[in-house]
Amino acid sequence: MADRLLEIRISADYPNKPAVLDDCSLEIGRGEIVGLVGKSGCGKSTLSLALLGLLAWRGGQVRGSIRLNGRDLVGLSEGEMRKLRGREIALVLQSPMSALNPALKLGTQLHEAWKAHSSGSSEACNRAVGEALENVSLPQEPAFLQRYPSQISVGQAQRVLIAMAILHRPPLLIADEPTSALDIITQSEILELFSKVSRKLAMSILYISHDLLSLASISQRVAVMENGAIVECSPTMKIFRDPSHPYTRQLIRALPVIPQVFAAPAR
Amino acid sequence: MRRARQLATVFLLLVALASAAAGFLAPSGYAHQFRDTPDASPSRQHWLGTDDLGRDRFARLLYGTRVSLCLAPAAALLSSLLAALIGGVAGFCGGRLEQLVLAGTDLFLSLPWLFLLITIRALLPLNLPPVTSVVITFMLLGCLGWAVAARVICSDAHLLRNCDFILLARASGLGGWRLLVRHLLPNLMPIVYAQFWLSIPIFILTEANLGILGLGVSEPLPSWGTLLRDLESCSSMSHLWQFAPLLLLIAAVSCFHLLVVDREFPA
Repeated sequence: MADRLLEIRISADYPNKPAVLDDCSLEIGRGEIVGLVGKSGCGKSTLSLALLGLLAWRGGQVRGSIRLNGRDLVGLSEGEMRKLRGREIALVLQSPMSALNPALKLGTQLHEAWKAHSSGSSEACNRAVGEALENVSLPQEPAFLQRYPSQISVGQAQRVLIAMAILHRPPLLIADEPTSALDIITQSEILELFSKVSRKLAMSILYISHDLLSLASISQRVAVMENGAIVECSPTMKIFRDPSHPYTRQLIRALPVIPQVFAAPAR
Repeated sequence: MRRARQLATVFLLLVALASAAAGFLAPSGYAHQFRDTPDASPSRQHWLGTDDLGRDRFARLLYGTRVSLCLAPAAALLSSLLAALIGGVAGFCGGRLEQLVLAGTDLFLSLPWLFLLITIRALLPLNLPPVTSVVITFMLLGCLGWAVAARVICSDAHLLRNCDFILLARASGLGGWRLLVRHLLPNLMPIVYAQFWLSIPIFILTEANLGILGLGVSEPLPSWGTLLRDLESCSSMSHLWQFAPLLLLIAAVSCFHLLVVDREFPA
């Protein structure tokens, strides 16, 4: 693995649901894309909230250590964590339409995200927003920024979310099932966009999904989560060719197979 | 229904315009006494006759409408702002603060509203200058009428705090007042608007109740409440023109209710 950016070894509980994360360990290198796969409810999103220090807000509690650039985040105060969120760790959520504020224009939301960590002039803000939009292949015209989330497509909304996440060029991006609400063509475009952003900005990505195929297309390594624990974490090729854990094998056996009629070579 | 709403809007606009132009439309000031013609019947000079002090009833109705139509929306605005602040903060913060505020609101709602208003107003001197009495009535209505609206807004804010866009704003590094004002409040505005419009007819009627009891706006300044008080001395149904303030009050309150029904409030 490349130079380590993130090292996690945590357990997490909710008041009426203990051990949602059970001694969960994971490492991510700089510029690396790591996929995290597991069935719904296994603790994937809890892990993303724990990394952002937002689990307490949902009533949860984290034990252990989360080391980002060698600094332990678990003991940090809310004020210190707020300074890290968006600047050191960014988040892209599953449903772009519900993740964007319906009452605010796109430009306002991007400017707000920028102002959370920068206090420069409005020119600097516009420049940063323009660069972020360019990186995700969205128009930078004022007319686009004047739109509300309901006035753009789902694919565009997901790109806006990615632009918002990369605004401060954080070293780590958490993508929590970012393509599950998208059609298959938009899904492949967004996956390609994540790869491009990671390469261009040397950004590490923790790509969370329950879709093993989409993970495999962009991840260098895949971590498999079951009942709040990482049961296997290996390079993507190894996961598919030589899975070691029974749950990983079960996941791979469950992958859809293209029917022969479509797979047959054209004459 | 749409036709009825249009008619209600036109009626309220006409009433508001007439009261605004009272200085031009009224034959005299609201306190001017025609000492030679007290308790006169309607005539070309005095369209609604004069009261027992010789004051022109039409002039007093126009000026009284101005006071009531300014006072009720102003009090509704104050109570809606208080409700947005108290309910919004409580619902957004959640936890013990929310429980405490809801308990306080329940306690407030259990108090007999009208008796509380009468008690507080009765504690103040009765010979207040007219303008001071208007300000005090406005403050009383505004400060005591927030509880129902606060409960509704608190419930809405509680739902919003768990929305994805608030999670994303937190994950972007936003927090505290900025999160509340820039992200939550715009989404609470439709419900705050609704509470504002619902409060206006309630405050018109409350001011009228206080006025009838002699605890509202002080003489000689008229309001719909003080004009209704004159009906106490109306001994005969033959003087039907004296019921003009009552008819106007009923019509205005009905029109406000028609405007609130099915109204779409902007996000």
